[in-house]
Amino acid sequence: MTGPTPAAVLAFDTACDACSAAVWRDGAALAREFVGMARGQSEALLPMIERVMAAAKLEFADLAAIGVTVGPGAFTGLRIGLAAARAIALASGKPAVGVTTLEAIAAALTPAPGSLVVAIDAKREDLYVQQFAGGAVWRPASAPIAQLPAAVALPAGPFAIAGDGAARLYAALDGEARARATLIADHALPDAAVVARLAAAHLVSGETVVSPRPLYLRPPDAKLPQDGGRIRVTPMRSGA
Amino acid sequence: MLILGIETSCDETAAAVVNDARVILASRVLSQTLEHAPYGGIVPEIAARSHLDHLDRLVAEALAEAKVGLAELDGIAATGGPGLIGGVIVGITTAKALALVHRKPLIAVNHLEGHALTARLSDDLPFPYLLLLATGGHCQLLIVEGVGRYKRLGTTIDDAVGEAFDKAAKMLGLGYPGGPEIERAAGESSAADRRRFPLPRPLAGRPGCDFSFSGLKTALRQSIEGLRPDDLDGGSPKRAVVAAIAGAFQDAVADVMADRAGNALTMFLERYPDAATRHLVIAGGVAANGALRARLAVLADKRGLRLVAPPLALCTDNAAMIAWAGVERLRLGFTDGLDFAPRPRWPLDPTAPRAVGAGVKA
Repeated sequence: MTGPTPAAVLAFDTACDACSAAVWRDGAALAREFVGMARGQSEALLPMIERVMAAAKLEFADLAAIGVTVGPGAFTGLRIGLAAARAIALASGKPAVGVTTLEAIAAALTPAPGSLVVAIDAKREDLYVQQFAGGAVWRPASAPIAQLPAAVALPAGPFAIAGDGAARLYAALDGEARARATLIADHALPDAAVVARLAAAHLVSGETVVSPRPLYLRPPDAKLPQDGGRIRVTPMRSGA
Repeated sequence: MLILGIETSCDETAAAVVNDARVILASRVLSQTLEHAPYGGIVPEIAARSHLDHLDRLVAEALAEAKVGLAELDGIAATGGPGLIGGVIVGITTAKALALVHRKPLIAVNHLEGHALTARLSDDLPFPYLLLLATGGHCQLLIVEGVGRYKRLGTTIDDAVGEAFDKAAKMLGLGYPGGPEIERAAGESSAADRRRFPLPRPLAGRPGCDFSFSGLKTALRQSIEGLRPDDLDGGSPKRAVVAAIAGAFQDAVADVMADRAGNALTMFLERYPDAATRHLVIAGGVAANGALRARLAVLADKRGLRLVAPPLALCTDNAAMIAWAGVERLRLGFTDGLDFAPRPRWPLDPTAPRAVGAGVKA
């Protein structure tokens, strides 16, 4: 007796310093590409999606869903992934599922006792940070937040630090915290294969899927002009 | 031929469906004006966020209004530059993804070519024609010789004309976008009121077709700072004074535009002495200014040309013009790959010398 055809998921990530795409089905990646790049995802992503779909021998109509990272990460980068995911969803009639970069990095790591802090380099003074608690899988133990390295709230007991901001966070720890910390160098960036696995799990859990929204964690840099930019005239300068 | 067009290069998110019989089946434009208004100008990050939030819905709405499915399209066109790159990336990535799923040709459109070819969508104009492209980001005089073939006669060497209107409106405490606000205030002033505020006409009377607006902006600032106490009401100019200065500013801009366009007309007629049809086209959001249109109509008439100004909805940023440029390009077999790189700067005439002071605007 054969069961239902396993649901295939296409997923991709462009939110950090990489571009990756993968097709996932039945617990394994049918095709996967990962290229580290700080910029150029706008050019690289769609050809990469075309290649992994061809390598997996699937049509968009064969997909159950599209998975994408929603951030936090580079604003332009996460918008590339989201624009592609939302357009593929529109064009194929399949749902798009959002996964955070922080949970994607955590899910790539083998669960262990203690806690995990994932830190993503915000390319500014602060880091994007989230705590996870160990168990069968790493489960979120705090909300994602943008924080200065020295201000990051740390879990009690031993903890691991992962992500491309991990070294910066580790360097900012005091001696007591550093004695409890382990720096993980692997899986520092989100991987589309993991994003696909998480998106497939979201589908199975039957969660309501809505159009994925960006997770910026920071408002746009813009200052309101004083008095709308209008010139204030000092009446001392009279006469023409 | 049916083309979907997408426009996200500035502060309008837009999607449209146009066919090669010059019919606009749907054209959706969502303006972000209110989101940027408190800042007195466009904030690129706010624009990019807003494009992402709304574009997929606008595409779906435009397709539904046109009663067209993505599978029925012949191609997907999107602005690939020039413009605010964060927004361009959202639009072109969306277009690439739609094109990939439905195996349609992608046409990356130069936003300026969208404006330049609009008169062929609205008025079925033959080539060649003289074009004054006046927007918030550009101010150029070009001969439009064909699809993808432009001869730039002049450009701004500092600010774009729409930008000059915005900055002037900001200094006067008028709203954003500045063009319509300046025109409204100017309408409340008499010629005598305006004469109190003599403003320069940068580059007027000089050879060539380049523009400069930064000196005019400085002179405007000095006029405001030099106001007398009885012009003021609590540190700000009275409305009648604002109206007079706005009028003086608009007059100066119109004089400069007419002067430079006059030189361009001479160059156009020298280059095409035997052209069967002679048209001066004004395109871009600044074409909405009635005073400017009136001045150019008189100028064109005197020189034996007809002024063509597309409907206002096609002059301000929209996706119908992008879809139409897609029609024109696809008819000639011009398409782009999924690896197309968005271009913050993308001159229509790559052979024209770069105007250093204008940065990406030239």
